[in-house]
Amino acid sequence: AFVFFSGLDPFHPVRWMSNSLNDLYTSCVIFCLILMSMVIVVISIFNFEFYAVVPSIPCSRLALIGKIIHPRQVMHSVVHAIMGMLVAWCAAVMMKGKFQFLAVPCTPSESPDDALPQMCLNECHLFFLLSGAFTGYSYSLFYLINNMNYLPFPIIQQYKYLRFRRSLPLLVKRSCVESLYFVRNFCVAYYFFGYIPKVWISTTMDLHIDSKLHPLDTLTGLLDLSLFYHAWLCGVFLLITWYIAWLLFKIYATETHHFPVQPTFAEETDQCLPKILTSNPPPIIKFLALQDLMLLSQYSPVRRQEVFSLSQPGGHPHNWTAISRECLSLLSDLTKRLITQQEAAAANGRAKQPARELKVSPQTPGAVVAEDMSFQSQRSSIVPRASMSSLVKPSLMPLKTSPGSDTGSPFSSSALNGKMGILDVNSPWHGSVQSPHVMRRRPKLWTSGSDLQMNGSHHESFPVLSAARVGSEAVQPGFIYTWLQNKQEQIKSFLSKRVLIMYFFSKHPEASIQAVFSDAQMHIWALGGLSHLVAASFTEDQFGVVQTTLPDILNTLLTLQEVVDRYFKLPHVSSKPPRISGSLDTSYKTLRFALRASLKTALYRITTVFGEHLNAVQVSTEHKKRLQQFLEYKE
Amino acid sequence: AGCTVRAFAWHPHTSKFAVALLDDSIRVYNSKSATIPSLKHRLQRNVAAMAWKPLCASILAVACQSCVLMWHLDPTSLSTRPSSGCAQVLSYPGHSPVTSLAWAPSGELLLSASPADTAMLVWDVSTENCVPLQRFGGGGVTFLAWSPDGSKVLAATPSAVFRVWEAQMWTCEWWPTIKGRCQTGGWSPDGSRLLFTVLGESVIYSLSFSEYRGEMQGQVGGWKTASIVADLSETTFETIGGEIHSMVWDPTGERLAVIIRGHPDAPGSQAVIAVFRTRNSPVFELLPCGFLRGECGAQPQLIAFHPCFQKGALLTVCWSTGKTSHIPFFFVSTHVPCASPSPVTTSASGWEQPLFSE
Repeated sequence: AFVFFSGLDPFHPVRWMSNSLNDLYTSCVIFCLILMSMVIVVISIFNFEFYAVVPSIPCSRLALIGKIIHPRQVMHSVVHAIMGMLVAWCAAVMMKGKFQFLAVPCTPSESPDDALPQMCLNECHLFFLLSGAFTGYSYSLFYLINNMNYLPFPIIQQYKYLRFRRSLPLLVKRSCVESLYFVRNFCVAYYFFGYIPKVWISTTMDLHIDSKLHPLDTLTGLLDLSLFYHAWLCGVFLLITWYIAWLLFKIYATETHHFPVQPTFAEETDQCLPKILTSNPPPIIKFLALQDLMLLSQYSPVRRQEVFSLSQPGGHPHNWTAISRECLSLLSDLTKRLITQQEAAAANGRAKQPARELKVSPQTPGAVVAEDMSFQSQRSSIVPRASMSSLVKPSLMPLKTSPGSDTGSPFSSSALNGKMGILDVNSPWHGSVQSPHVMRRRPKLWTSGSDLQMNGSHHESFPVLSAARVGSEAVQPGFIYTWLQNKQEQIKSFLSKRVLIMYFFSKHPEASIQAVFSDAQMHIWALGGLSHLVAASFTEDQFGVVQTTLPDILNTLLTLQEVVDRYFKLPHVSSKPPRISGSLDTSYKTLRFALRASLKTALYRITTVFGEHLNAVQVSTEHKKRLQQFLEYKE
Repeated sequence: AGCTVRAFAWHPHTSKFAVALLDDSIRVYNSKSATIPSLKHRLQRNVAAMAWKPLCASILAVACQSCVLMWHLDPTSLSTRPSSGCAQVLSYPGHSPVTSLAWAPSGELLLSASPADTAMLVWDVSTENCVPLQRFGGGGVTFLAWSPDGSKVLAATPSAVFRVWEAQMWTCEWWPTIKGRCQTGGWSPDGSRLLFTVLGESVIYSLSFSEYRGEMQGQVGGWKTASIVADLSETTFETIGGEIHSMVWDPTGERLAVIIRGHPDAPGSQAVIAVFRTRNSPVFELLPCGFLRGECGAQPQLIAFHPCFQKGALLTVCWSTGKTSHIPFFFVSTHVPCASPSPVTTSASGWEQPLFSE
């Protein structure tokens, strides 16, 4: 196709067609095709290595810059640039004409001195190669910034061919537009910097610059329409092939995979759904397993029966227990994460006072992160109490912690943990009444964004010191420690007055919110799958395996509903991010709304099917009131 | 035409309904509250259809001239004028005017169709993402009906072709009719039977689908031909008969109501509602039950059954005079009883509620 378009000769269409057809069969073209398929293979390998199901969202500009200069990303860009150059070389060779060789004989000059024709640099060819490299590099940058490595799962299931066919026209249009954009940028860059590679190549390969022809890095040189057209065409071709590779990879990777619920053979035990959910598989497998759970709960009565079945012998509902436990633990993790976020936001609001008293950290709810596998009835009773008494003495709460446990939120870095003090919860004075002095000892984990970044980047030496200090002397509050804290505050307030520093370090609120919900797709599926299974169990569950877990399910869902409602009252959360028109799938930006809607739908599904029978289920009184609201459709 | 009520929609779980009027406002009437919120938006023009979201308290999808508006109403609020900020706009280039909407019974997806667009859009409302399902041939989609079990969707086109999609892998079957376009259709509660009518013919056709077992992916499973189940051509009995304008099937599958248009050239012919008693299992049965006629000069425009009437079926009729009447049918349903929220309290005979107080 490329050969056709490049030989475009609008005035002599017949000659164009015959020339192109002739060209197709030359060995040159065949060799180029082989080379280009190798390029595609390399690109596909890169797609494979770099994909992610959870988008990584940089929360501040510094994080974005950090992402760009990360060595892995640099390698990605370099390889793409080289691939781009290769493709451009193939294209130039295939096109014949003036682009074919790097070195061409110079136009014979008038003077009789130069009898031998010298080799001159074919600047058009060079321009071509460099534009290919530039396009490759820009593609890589776009890939990074637009999170193209994120695999969005489709909202409806379709056969692969239909999905591919549907996306193809959009893809072609987008490649054309982007190529135009890239070539334009490249022309500007070449205008300013074009002489560098020109001079370098001509000196290394001992070619002369042809003085007869116009040099290309001038305005008149760059306005060559045919050159522009060919460069654009090459860019379009390159982008189309790379985007098709990316699209095919996305379609194949997000295809639903059928996981058996009940293993029929002993070798398959590792592949069956409950096992996969409870072990810790790589994220893509977990996502596919949850997607399969969602589909089986809606569409497959046979597999639902397998889920509700009892084991032989023993009569234990292993399948249901494993699946429901995993879903509930996912949901309660999310609940905890949101609570800590809210605590942080609330604490930030109150920390704007001039006095530098450090509030009690909101670690207590997070400190209940013990990975015990008991059912969530105890946990859910702790969690709402924790959220209510956020900044007041936490001493009276029963705690089940492991020392050194951390909230594990996305914003903390290990350096920070070390510095802020690994809470030695078993220390003798922890449960006692807190004096203000001791309260200061547990600084809040969530200061404003600048504080975190500051501390992370400027005080690398301190973590080691303070960690050692905190670890060793757990009894006396360290005077040096507090002095260090004061110094940090001073530096922080000094630097925060420098606008440039704040520009890089300030957290973009929308991005931080998106980062909290970046893996919400898992939770959406868990909610959907669980609620469909519970709804189906009203008629299909023969042994009553679901009924025993119904209180926990309802508790978890209602707690999550409360927390999500409160979270959405925070600023920026309920506003929709601006939609950029274009064919990019930016569904990761609105995952939080999908989560809220699917949570409500899940609760309504359970209440609609069970109706008044839900009043017989044991839930706490606040939850009972909430359930009554759902039953009356007042939520 | 000539009616002040444009569209009517019952809430699927409570006694609440929304009425769209000629002036492009929507009123929501609730049997439990005296406030009648009135919804207005600058994009809400030429409302053609409305649908409440299932498994939700009050989200209403409205098909407008250029977009689909989603109103997120607060079920407990007493305000009579919800602000335009509660409305979410879903638009897609080339998809206008939107004339038909259908929610998936599981509440997650919304289908919207326009006769000017050959693609049917599947919306994921909360993320505002849509997937266009394009099929050439037929020219647009005029009528959508999703089967109550969530497995199939009827999509009628302006030409003599309609499609039945299956909702798991979204493949479709293509059904040509002989004479004209498919005017209206209704699904049985278990999704195994589709009754439809064709413009220009006064018969009701039935199409059976094989029992959905979840294992057949990508097959709609329809029979090869549709069979005629009811011939409603004009009879001498009070000269009632003719083409069918719209059809609704009660959610228990026991009553079918159709609006029969009299012949336009015959003088004095009035549109009439015919009610049939139906049964889907073990064998399909369709027996005439009675006729409903309004006051002199009042033509029935829109009919709808209440989605969860406990004592039988409740048919709501919007007449061309602007009145809405609710007609109950009391019978013991053979449907499996399932727990439902508060029942509707109605009087013994029809309940006339004037739409306009002025």
